[in-house]
Amino acid sequence: MSPISILTVDDSPSMRALLRHTLAGEGHIVAEAEDGIAALEWLSGNDAPDLVITDINMPRMDGFGLIEAVRAQPCFRDLPMLVLSTESSDEKKSRARSAGATGWIVKPFDPAKLAAAVRRVTH
Amino acid sequence: MSGLNEFASLPRSTRRINVIEGDFHVSGRDGDVLCTILGSCVAVCLYDVVARIGGMNHFLLAEPTSGDRQDPLVLERFGAFAMEQLINEMQKMGARRETTRAHIYGGGMLRAGMERIGAGNRAFARNFLERDRIAISHEDVGGNYARRVEFRAASGQARCRIIPMTEITPARPAKPNVPTLGDVELF
Repeated sequence: MSPISILTVDDSPSMRALLRHTLAGEGHIVAEAEDGIAALEWLSGNDAPDLVITDINMPRMDGFGLIEAVRAQPCFRDLPMLVLSTESSDEKKSRARSAGATGWIVKPFDPAKLAAAVRRVTH
Repeated sequence: MSGLNEFASLPRSTRRINVIEGDFHVSGRDGDVLCTILGSCVAVCLYDVVARIGGMNHFLLAEPTSGDRQDPLVLERFGAFAMEQLINEMQKMGARRETTRAHIYGGGMLRAGMERIGAGNRAFARNFLERDRIAISHEDVGGNYARRVEFRAASGQARCRIIPMTEITPARPAKPNVPTLGDVELF
């Protein structure tokens, strides 16, 4: 699989480090943001990534707000956005889907399943 | 051994909530006392000094019989999950990392040869909190004894006492209660 660029969004440095280790180990290029606001700032100042993986519960702007804000920009209409969250309720998943998320992954993540999901939504 | 803060006598409105292995609890209610008993396991107690919201988790990240076969990154993911659940729930109630302080309890060695397990649990807790920039205000860890911890969620007061080893159940392989481990759903 050719490397892809992934923006990970999570307020926990520990979780970002785990994700970076996993995704970089697959050969991907990983950028990081600590919340929705920081992610939007990153997206406005860099080339669009191939994928965004975002947490839901974050200060300043949560994952739902980020997905809605990204989808409001026509240039990001087709950008794959996966949610990675400790939560797994149908209500939260439904809200993410309505906001424009591409999929939902439950923490603690399985690296093999995460890699498979990355492949599926980026190819 | 007593913790950082001594308990005042418990009021009649006290509600004791047991936090068992793999579980966590968060509260901002005066009178809620989060309780747990620890051997090799670790409990992290978090308290937001401004929001007056506290919480406790209780986790074991090593399997006594697994030798060295356990992938440390697997344990890291489960540990991060245990911490994130607690932090998320506190944040939903108004807590912020910047004003949150942490206590770490447990990680003892109850039987010869098990030091690695307790040490691994407490090292994980320390490393996670340092990486996540949550100040550690108190630790009562290590040693070859069990502990009973009581933590008043709304005030951040804690008491940690040594207890006879007969009061705890043997350490067992445990992971946090996650109904759908690593589940993936594409929309």
